[in-house]
Amino acid sequence: MSIRTLLLTLGGLGAACLLATARDNSARGDDQAAAPQELLPVSQRFVPSDVAEEPSFQRHVSPLFGRLGCNGRACHGSFQGRGGFRLSLFGYDFKADHESLAKGDKPRVSVDSPLDSLILVKPTNEELHEGGERYKKESWEYNVFRRWVEAGAKFDAAKDMQKLVRLEVTPSEILFSKSGETVQMKAVAVWPDGTREDVTPLCRFQSNSDQVSKITELGLVTATEPGDTHIVISYDNAVVPVPVIRPVSDKFGEKYPQVATFNKVDELVIEKLRKLGMIPSEVASDAEFFRRVSLDLTGTLPTPTEVEAFLADPSSQKRAAKIDELLASPAYAAWWTTKLCDYTGNNDRALNNTMPVQGSSSQIWYDWIYKRMADNTPYDKIVEGIVLAKSRKEGQTYAEYCQEMSEIYHPDSEKKFADRDNMPFYWARNNLRQPEERAIGFAYTFLGIRIQCAQCHKHPFDQWSKDDFDAFKGFFSRVQFSQNGARDKETQDQYKEILAKLEIPVDARMGGNDIRRALPEKLKQKMTVPFGELFVMAPAPQNRRPNNNGNQNRNRPPAAQAKARILGGEDMNLNDVADARTPLMDWLRNKDNPYFAKAFANRVWASYFNVGIVQPPDDMSLANPPSNKALLDHLAAGFIEHNFDMKWLHREILNSRTYQLTWQPNATNAKDERNFSRAVPRRLPAEVAYDAVQMATASDAKAATMRSDLKNRAIAIAGASAQNQGNRAGNAGFALTVFGRSIRESNCDCDRSMEASLLQTVFLQNDNQVLSQISGGRDTFAEDLSKKFRPKLDPNNKAQEVTNIGREVAKLQVRIERVTKDENKEQLERLQGRLAELTKSLDDLTAPEAEPMEDAPGLVKQVYLRTLSRYPSPDEMKRCTDYLASASSPLEGAKGLLWTLINTKEFIVNH
Amino acid sequence: MAISLTCDGATRRDFLKVGAVGAGLSLSGFLRMASAGEVKGAKATSAIFINLNGGPSHMDTFDLKPDAPAEFRGAFNPIKTNVPGMEISEHLPKLAQCGDKFALLRGVTHTLGAHELGTEYVNSGNRPIPSLEYPGYGVVFTKENQDTAPKDLPPFVAIPNSSQRAGFLGVQYAPLNTGSTPRPGQPFNVRGISLSGGVTIEEVERRQNLLADLDKTFAGVEKESQLLTGLDRFSEQAHAIITSRRAREAFDVSKENPKFAEPFGAEGFGQSCLLATRLIESGVRFCSISLGGWDTHGTNFTTLKTRLCPTLDTGLSALLNGLSQKGLLESTVVFVTGEFGRTPKINQRSAEGGRDHYPRCMFMVMAGGGVKGGQVLGESDDKATMPKNEGFSPADVAASFYQALGIDHTKEYHSNTGRPIMIVRDGNVIPKLFS
Repeated sequence: MSIRTLLLTLGGLGAACLLATARDNSARGDDQAAAPQELLPVSQRFVPSDVAEEPSFQRHVSPLFGRLGCNGRACHGSFQGRGGFRLSLFGYDFKADHESLAKGDKPRVSVDSPLDSLILVKPTNEELHEGGERYKKESWEYNVFRRWVEAGAKFDAAKDMQKLVRLEVTPSEILFSKSGETVQMKAVAVWPDGTREDVTPLCRFQSNSDQVSKITELGLVTATEPGDTHIVISYDNAVVPVPVIRPVSDKFGEKYPQVATFNKVDELVIEKLRKLGMIPSEVASDAEFFRRVSLDLTGTLPTPTEVEAFLADPSSQKRAAKIDELLASPAYAAWWTTKLCDYTGNNDRALNNTMPVQGSSSQIWYDWIYKRMADNTPYDKIVEGIVLAKSRKEGQTYAEYCQEMSEIYHPDSEKKFADRDNMPFYWARNNLRQPEERAIGFAYTFLGIRIQCAQCHKHPFDQWSKDDFDAFKGFFSRVQFSQNGARDKETQDQYKEILAKLEIPVDARMGGNDIRRALPEKLKQKMTVPFGELFVMAPAPQNRRPNNNGNQNRNRPPAAQAKARILGGEDMNLNDVADARTPLMDWLRNKDNPYFAKAFANRVWASYFNVGIVQPPDDMSLANPPSNKALLDHLAAGFIEHNFDMKWLHREILNSRTYQLTWQPNATNAKDERNFSRAVPRRLPAEVAYDAVQMATASDAKAATMRSDLKNRAIAIAGASAQNQGNRAGNAGFALTVFGRSIRESNCDCDRSMEASLLQTVFLQNDNQVLSQISGGRDTFAEDLSKKFRPKLDPNNKAQEVTNIGREVAKLQVRIERVTKDENKEQLERLQGRLAELTKSLDDLTAPEAEPMEDAPGLVKQVYLRTLSRYPSPDEMKRCTDYLASASSPLEGAKGLLWTLINTKEFIVNH
Repeated sequence: MAISLTCDGATRRDFLKVGAVGAGLSLSGFLRMASAGEVKGAKATSAIFINLNGGPSHMDTFDLKPDAPAEFRGAFNPIKTNVPGMEISEHLPKLAQCGDKFALLRGVTHTLGAHELGTEYVNSGNRPIPSLEYPGYGVVFTKENQDTAPKDLPPFVAIPNSSQRAGFLGVQYAPLNTGSTPRPGQPFNVRGISLSGGVTIEEVERRQNLLADLDKTFAGVEKESQLLTGLDRFSEQAHAIITSRRAREAFDVSKENPKFAEPFGAEGFGQSCLLATRLIESGVRFCSISLGGWDTHGTNFTTLKTRLCPTLDTGLSALLNGLSQKGLLESTVVFVTGEFGRTPKINQRSAEGGRDHYPRCMFMVMAGGGVKGGQVLGESDDKATMPKNEGFSPADVAASFYQALGIDHTKEYHSNTGRPIMIVRDGNVIPKLFS
């Protein structure tokens, strides 16, 4: 009886702050007695065999099926049913379940002879039941089912269906202090008629982490290990999470030490850590901070020069200043454009044939977002440009639109698609054309929630029912993309007219593909060609057969739905609005929207802390509550208050002490991965890893340009397939696949992989792409060094070489002249590059020669700075100089050292 | 690598490369020893999956209809195989001589007529859905066999690359892509396996020693982090592979006995089949091979007759015979399929005519690993427009493929979103394949 269990209760849920033990459950009843008209649980009311009460199908019978596991996936909840009897998965489709019980060829209830009902004889194993005995004859469960059948097995959806007001769960927070402690949960359902009923025996319970606490099917919670988690209670459509905390040290609550905070973020993090008795790590060193923030914010390794300058800067404000500087760099815009392309699903394969030039749709998508990231356009404005996109401007005819678009594509055009107000390709993807697919994708992208479960059944971990899903998808059926323009006569006439002017030889055999292939050439000739367009169907409902054949004809537009409902909102008639997406967008940016701002804030947080405050970041649901609700609320509210200023969000997080903590753990937080008491080492994302290898192996001159010059950067690849016109990083396809770049198939954040794998290590250790980059070639570190370490030439040879180079320069100049005349840009660029190299060699030859390897420590330092962005420790220095001394040549030694540091864990993780 | 364009506009890697002829050496003894003991029972322990990208015409290869009306029939005649009653195209004469080694499935049917969707279906056994990407066979196999696969070899090799996506199972089960196909008699450089950049084994060891000394930043906290533990484990295994003589020898087709290599021919596909044989022999568990170009909308008959059929005929027959010679056919199941068949009715796009996408009726081939060869299962109707009776779905064949490999296709994984997913949701094993 001396178990010290503190039960806390939030306001509004009744007065409960009491001690409880496993055996002391009865104490609850007395305490709750103050609440009016509260019904005792069915497990007490239905014990007497002569009970007269008639149970309700919604309130008792259906939830009891859930509690007993009857409607689980392996049993009658399976889509095929079991033994000829099917219930809706996880319940809540009362009408279907009732029909399945009371009607059909083999009803499971027998009103005429109640005791012979299958729902009484099967689960008690009186008649053979594959699922075994679920309850005993004459038990309260038996009596609930029996009384319901005896009373006529009634349910009338229109009359009997009620909306649960709320589920009151006590305690609302559990604080454990040692293993084996127990707490009994209690749940009270409140119905519209004011009825309050203890429904504890009818709830489903689960623990989000068995490591911290376990829960029985009757709601008894037992403490296991220290840490924090939630237990989740479900009844009807309510899903209620209850936090469970067990401090990891004795320094919790009032014994918690004083910890410095920089801003509100820190205060909120500490508030949680105080309960856990978890003390944050120390603040990271400048070197650790700089590498981390540079990789996180700009997807780019710092150069040795930058690192040294930062370390030497004596200013106390240098971290904040560096954050501002990085936020202003093109690499920030590029890296966060890549992330937005992930969230929105910029997938070149899904955009096949949406524009006359292959691959250009993905590039347009990227460039359109990039411009806005660089300008720091508010997030809601960017989303508006995507969600409400239409190809034609207000009042524009199809012909005018095609002309405008053609001009963008014409050679040497000054016009840019990114200057258009909106970006239509989000809706044009061919893998998300059906309203269901779009609804699921939209929920991931803009709401950070997963509603696909509700497409077929009640969401097991959230409030969404199939009905909610069906009502939500209505918003997505009126926007269409067509390769050949909208289907109205005016557009089609103009389409034909434009096509006719192109004089493409059309013979009978020619299909749409053949015509499409001719278009890029016509654009090069500065002609106007037809363009695909995104358009919105007229509001009037069309009288047509719905398209119910699923995948079989994915290109056929789905039938429009007249009614729709935003999640958690009221029904609306879509025929009252010109564009069904408008109310959706209004809802998104409404300050009361529970998801929109949070989803983005949480993703930004997740990119800095390895996990989101809600984790996975795109799975905000009732059963998956934030690890720190106050923190997420603060970030989302601030984001809204600052008019969706993304840079505000970055600054608020990055300037916190919490972000700037070291990864090195202390005695209390080594296991922490979800409460932000230290930095968590995490693998570099695919693009960042690829670019980091490039940068670590690049010449000093090249590396210095990489944060501002995005050419050939993996973070500047537009589409999902990494085949980019004009970007040499297109060769990165293999590496990016191996490192799990987002495949952008489903809008789920899980399309990107952050796992480590064998092939990644094989790539870094032995792939020719990495090895050749380490061993030399244009603009590499090895090339820089090879010049430095070149053996001394005797003066005669030197003179000869100067002459040779002089000759080659002369030849090159002639070729350059010729190529300039031919306007061969690509070749010109190449030749000029070669010329620059030769000029540099000449300079080197005539410059005083450096003594190779006099400065082995200097070389070691350089290699450390360009890979791990820090100086080596004395031990490391010694080991490395020994290695260099035993190398076959200084250059080979340097290459070996570079290879080694690239293959350390410290290189490939951000920490 | 050359790029070819399929009709729906997606660029696809050209899976076929032609190389020069040369001679090679035989496999060293330890290579053979290493794989001994891994073969047990009737169940296959390894697999070779051959993807005929583009969708091969069933009516001109394995399901001829000589009596069909002229606008369906096509230019080719059937020939007898070495199994009475089993006939295939006259342009597959070598395969006809080893009909006893494979089972032919006719009247396989589905409804996905786009390359992308069809390919995902036949590479995973699941109809694609937008909310999730299904893992390919090799990926599932790799996951299921991760504990028994040799540590110094990549468990799953794709020659030159694969349509089998890692999907929700994650990139750690993805194949090693060779990136190109071997040339006959020449050493074959595979990214990640071969040493390059002038680095010697001795230098690799020196670097590894240095790495072991320097990679200590996280010492002490590694056990708390799955990532750091994993990186250490992978580093060890990568080192084992890179320094493994067995691995290098296995990829080096020039080490093969010229007599054994000869039937595989000089083309990239045949050489890929030879490589797959060597890899399986040395302990790699799953190989995929791709042969593209089957998207014959235009000159269907010329392309098949002069290029595709001879290539497939040579490579696949050599593979089946070669596996059999090495005693590996019983333990290696071979599965050959395209993403769909082609329209029975000949189109008029070119003078000789072509055939378009047609998923309603197609063929698949399966051999080895307990599959009973020399039989035809299923049947298409008179014009090869649909299965005559019930037909098979790609899911049924997939379930059977897993069955041969000792994997229960009804086993469930959980997707990243926590959703339970069966390995093959709608498939039923075809028992006749094995009896």
